[in-house]
Amino acid sequence: MSAEPEARANRLESLALSIIFAALSTGLLALIAVATKSGPASAGWWTRPWLMPAVALTILAAANLVTLWREVTDLRARPPSPDEATEGWTALLGWLRPLEYLGYFAAYLWGILHLGYFAATLVFVFFLMWRAGLHAPRWQLAGLGLVLFMIGVFRFGLGVWMPAPALYDLFPDALRSALIRWF
Amino acid sequence: MEFLWLGLQQLSDPWVFLTMCSGAILGVIVGAIPGAGAAVTISILLPTTFSMEPLIGMTLLLGIYCGSAYGSAIPAVMINTPGSPVAVLTALEAKPFVDRGEARRALSLAYSASFVGGMMAVLALMLLTLPLAKVARNFGSADFAMLAFAALVLVIVGHGGRRVEATAAMAFGLFLATVGIETAYSTQRYSFGFSFLAGGIPLVPMVIGLFAMSEALIQLTAREVQKPAIQLGGRFFQGFTEVFRYKVTLFGSSIFGILCGIMPGVGEFLAQQVNYVWARKLSKDGANFGKGAPEGIIVSEATNNSVPPAALIPLLALGIPGEELTAMMLAVFLVHNVIPGPDLFVQRPEFVAGLYWTLLAMNFVIIGFLLVATNAIARAAQINKRFLGVAILTLSLIGTYASGYNFADVGIAMVFALLGYVLRAHRWPLTPILLGLVMGPILEGRMRQALGTANGDLTIFVTRPISAIILAALVLLVVFTFRGWLKQRKPREDWQINDT
Repeated sequence: MSAEPEARANRLESLALSIIFAALSTGLLALIAVATKSGPASAGWWTRPWLMPAVALTILAAANLVTLWREVTDLRARPPSPDEATEGWTALLGWLRPLEYLGYFAAYLWGILHLGYFAATLVFVFFLMWRAGLHAPRWQLAGLGLVLFMIGVFRFGLGVWMPAPALYDLFPDALRSALIRWF
Repeated sequence: MEFLWLGLQQLSDPWVFLTMCSGAILGVIVGAIPGAGAAVTISILLPTTFSMEPLIGMTLLLGIYCGSAYGSAIPAVMINTPGSPVAVLTALEAKPFVDRGEARRALSLAYSASFVGGMMAVLALMLLTLPLAKVARNFGSADFAMLAFAALVLVIVGHGGRRVEATAAMAFGLFLATVGIETAYSTQRYSFGFSFLAGGIPLVPMVIGLFAMSEALIQLTAREVQKPAIQLGGRFFQGFTEVFRYKVTLFGSSIFGILCGIMPGVGEFLAQQVNYVWARKLSKDGANFGKGAPEGIIVSEATNNSVPPAALIPLLALGIPGEELTAMMLAVFLVHNVIPGPDLFVQRPEFVAGLYWTLLAMNFVIIGFLLVATNAIARAAQINKRFLGVAILTLSLIGTYASGYNFADVGIAMVFALLGYVLRAHRWPLTPILLGLVMGPILEGRMRQALGTANGDLTIFVTRPISAIILAALVLLVVFTFRGWLKQRKPREDWQINDT
C-alpha cells in the first residue's frame, strides 16, 4: 500500500481539483474541431478521426462534472468551517511540495547533459538525501552504494547509452571515450 | 507432449533460469517493502526488458509480479504493515497470531496458501489458455471490440465506491490513446504541432511517471513514521501441514482467484475482498474471521496469489490485458512483435511453453527463498521511506530515458508523476488510465473493422452471437451493480480504498 500524503483529502482541496479537471476536460472537448481533422466525407462515419476523442472526452467531461456537482452539493449541505477553509489553503499549498522535488529532478536532467550521468547522479542523490533529512554518515554511504549500483546495473550491465556531456570534452580522448562509455 | 518438452528446453536455458530466479527473488523483496511493490518495480524495469529476448524479459517481469504477491505477506505478519493493498486482510488476520506469539505459524500458513494458489493458477493457465485461444479463433472484429469494451466496463465496476472517478480515469486513458497519429487518414490528433506528441503518448514514460515517480514523491513528502518492531514467534513449519486441514477454503479460494484473474478488470484486491466476505459467510468458523482465524489468512493469500498467473490467460489467448501489470507486460510483447492472441500458439509455441514452465518453477524458487530469507526480508521491509523515495526517483530517470533514448520522455514522465501524486492524494484510481491507454487502440481499431464490414450498421454488435452474449452479460452486470448501489448507498467517508 502506498503511503498516503494526507489521511483524508480536504473538501475544498477536492473541489479545487474537480474544478481543474472539469475545466480541462471541457476545454479539450471544445478544442476537438481544431485538434483533429475530419477526414474525407466519402468514408463512413465510423472512420472519422474525431470520433474516438469525442467519445472519450465526452465521458471524461461528464464524469468530471458529476464529481464537481457532488463536491458542490456536499459543500452546500455542510458549509466548511473556518478551520477547514484554512486547512484547505494549506492543503493546496501542499501541491507545491512535489513540484519542489520535480524541480530537482529537472535539474538532475540538466546535470546529466552537462556533467555526465555519474557525476549528476551522485550530486542528485546526495542533495536529495540531504533535503529529505538523511544526514547521518550511514546514509551518505547508502547513497554512494545506490549510485554505484545504478552505474553497475544500467551502464556496465545493460549498456544504457547516455549523451556525452560538455564536461567530458575537457579530458584527453582515451579518457573521454571511457567516460562516455561507462560513466 | 512435444509442446511441454519445448517449454522444458526453454527453462533449461541458463539465462532464462537465472532471470527467473532473479525476478522471483527481487519480486519477493520489493513486495515486502511498503511503497516499492510490483507496479513501481515493473514500470522502472520495463524499458530494460525491451533489449532482452521476449521470454527472458517476460520471465523477469512475471517473477516480480508473482514474487511480490508472496512477499507482501511478510511485513503484514512481522511488522503488521501490509507490503501492498492485497496484504491488508493478511495483516488483519495475522495480528492476533502475532499477539499470541505465533507469527511463524501465520507466516507458514500464508506461504503454503500462496504456494497452492499460485500452483493451481499456473495449472489453470496451462489447461485453459489453449482451449480459449482455439475458441477465440472464431472471434470476429465485433467480438474483439466487445471484449475490449467489456474489459473497460469491468474495470469501472471493479472500483466499487469510486466508479465515477474510475470512469473519468478510464476515459482519460482512452483520450490519451488517441493523441498523436491516427492510422486511417494519417492525421494528427491533439498533438498541437508538438513533435514529441506526434507518435502518441509513450507508454513507458507514462507508466513510470504515474506509478513509480508519483510513489517516490509521496515517500519524499510524507511524514516519517516510527519503525514497528519485528515480531517472530511460534513454530515455522506448523502452518505447512495445517493449511490442508482447510481444503475447501484453500482450493475454493484458489479457484475463485483464478476466475477473478481471468476476468479483466477485477484484480487481486477485489477478488480477495469479495472472497473473504463469502468465505466468512460460508465457513463454520466464520465468527472468528478478523480475530486470527487460519482460514482468514488462507483466503487472503490463496486468492491473492492465484490471480497473477490467471491474469495471463486473457492476455495470451485473446490479447486483452486485465489489469495494470499485464497491461505493462503487453508492451514487452509488442516491442518484440510477438502478438498475443489466438495465433500466438501457432507462431511462437516455444515462447508460450517456456512461460508455463518458468511460472511453475518460479513458485518453487520463491518458496525456497522464503524458507531461508524471511528474517532478512522483514528487515528490508523497514527501509527508510525517504531513502526509498530517493532511490525510486533516481531509478525513474534512467528507466524513462532508456525506453526511447529521448529526454522529452522524461518530461512526459514528470507531468504524469505530478498527476499521479495528486490523484493518489485524492484516492483516484490510476489503473483505469493505463488500461484505457492500452485498450484504446484495440477498441478503436476493432470497432472500425467491425463497422467497416457492416457498412456502419451498429446492429453487428448484437447480431454476432459472441458479441451479443458479452453485451447481454455486461448489461446484466451493470443492472445488478446499479441495483446494489441503490440499496447500499454509503456516505463518502466509508468508501473503500482501492489504492491504484
